Amino acid sequence: MAGMGRTFAQGIWKENPVFRLLLGMCPTLAVSTSVQNGLGMGLATTFVLVCSNVMISALRNFIPRQVRIPGYVVVIASFVTVVDLVMHAYFFELHRSLGLFIPLIVVNCIILGRAEAFAGRNGVAVSLADGLGMGLGFTLGLSVLGSVREVLGSGSILGYPLFGPGYPPMLVMILPPGAFLTLGLLLAGMNRLEERRAIRAGEKYEPPREMDCGSCVLCKPLASLSPAPPAAQKSRNSSE
Amino acid sequence: MREILNLSLRLALICAVMAVVLAKVDAMTREPIAAVEALAQREAVEAVMPPFETLEPDTLADGGIYFVGRGPDGPTGYAFAATSAKAYSGEIAVMVGVDAGGRVQGVRVLRHAETPGLGSRYAAPEVLASFYAGHGLHDRDWRVKKDGGDVDAITGATVTGRALAEAVSTGLAGFERDRPQLQGAASAAAADTTGEAR
Repeated sequence: MAGMGRTFAQGIWKENPVFRLLLGMCPTLAVSTSVQNGLGMGLATTFVLVCSNVMISALRNFIPRQVRIPGYVVVIASFVTVVDLVMHAYFFELHRSLGLFIPLIVVNCIILGRAEAFAGRNGVAVSLADGLGMGLGFTLGLSVLGSVREVLGSGSILGYPLFGPGYPPMLVMILPPGAFLTLGLLLAGMNRLEERRAIRAGEKYEPPREMDCGSCVLCKPLASLSPAPPAAQKSRNSSE
Repeated sequence: MREILNLSLRLALICAVMAVVLAKVDAMTREPIAAVEALAQREAVEAVMPPFETLEPDTLADGGIYFVGRGPDGPTGYAFAATSAKAYSGEIAVMVGVDAGGRVQGVRVLRHAETPGLGSRYAAPEVLASFYAGHGLHDRDWRVKKDGGDVDAITGATVTGRALAEAVSTGLAGFERDRPQLQGAASAAAADTTGEAR
C-alpha cells in the first residue's frame, strides 16, 4: 500500500512527466494554450494511461517479449480511439477545440514509456497507481503551462477575462515560442527550488542529467571542434 | 515456425479483444455523436439565418444541400455549408447564411483543425460577423487585405483568414449558381403549403 502511494506521488512531482522526465513534449507544447485545453488533454491522457497500464500489466505474462511493442501499441491505440469517441459524444466543445491532438495521444511517449518501463514489469494495482500518478502529473504540468500562457497570452483564465479590454494580450505566449519560453522558465524555477531544498538539507544538488548544459549533444561537436583557449593565447602572443 | 505461430496468435487475440471493445464503444457513442453533430449543425444554421418562420433542408439534384428559411412572404434567407482546403491545418468548414438578396448574414465555423488560440480565434461569432457579414458575392473583393482584397484577417493568422474568405466566397458563388433551382423549389413548396392551408 505504501509502495502504491509512493509510486503515485512520484508521477506528480519527483518524476513529473512534463517537468522532470520531459516526456510528451508534443502535446505539452501544442495544446497548453489555455487552462481548459491543458486540463482536457491531461485528463484524456490520464484515462488512456490508466487503462493501458492496467491492461498491459494484466497481460504482461501473456504478451511475448518479442512482440510486446506491437501489442502495447494496439492496446494504447484502442483506448485512444475510445477517448476520441466518448469525447466526441459527450464533450463536444472540448473535442472540437483539441481537434487532431486527441488521436495523437497514441504517439505520446509517456504512455508507451510507462507501458515499457513500468506496467510490463509490475503488478496491476501498482501499475494503476503509476498510471494515475503520471497522468495527473502530466495534467498538472499542462494546466500550469496553460494557465501561465492563457493569463499572459489571452488575458483570461478558464475563458473569463481578467484585465478588461485595455489589456493588449502578449500574442507570443499563445504562439509556439510562448510554449518554449514558459516551459524553459518553469523548468529553471523548478531546478532552483530543488537546489535550495538540497542546500538546506546539506546535500549536493545535481540537476537531472538531460537538463544539464554539459550533457547537451548540440554543444558537444562545437566544443570538440574549437580549441578556443590555446588559439586565443597564441593570437595574443603574436600581437605582442 | 511454431514460435512464429504462437506470437502471431497471441497478437491476433489481443487485436480481437480490442476490436470487440472498440465495436462496443462505437455502438454506444454512434447515436450521441450523430445527435450532437446534428444539433451543432441546426444551431449553426439558426445562428446564421435571418429571422424565419419555418426552416427546411433542400437537396439539389447535384447533391448540394441548402437550408431554406421562409417567412409569411416567401423565402427570407438561405444557409449552406462551404469548405476550404487551404487552411493552416487540414480543412475548414463553415456554415454561411445569406438573406433573400444574397448578402451574408452570418458565418459559423463547423469544423477546423487550426492552431488552438490562434487560427481558432476566427471561430468567435463577433469576429466572423465583423469580417464577413453584410456583403454579397459581387460587392467586394473576397481576398484578404494582405492579398489586395477587402477582407479583414487576424494578425498572425492570415492563412486561416484566407481559407475562410475562400470558403465563404466559393460558397456564395455556388449559391448564386444554384439559386434559380432553389427559388423555384422554394416557391413551389410555398404554393404547396398554401394549397394545404386552403
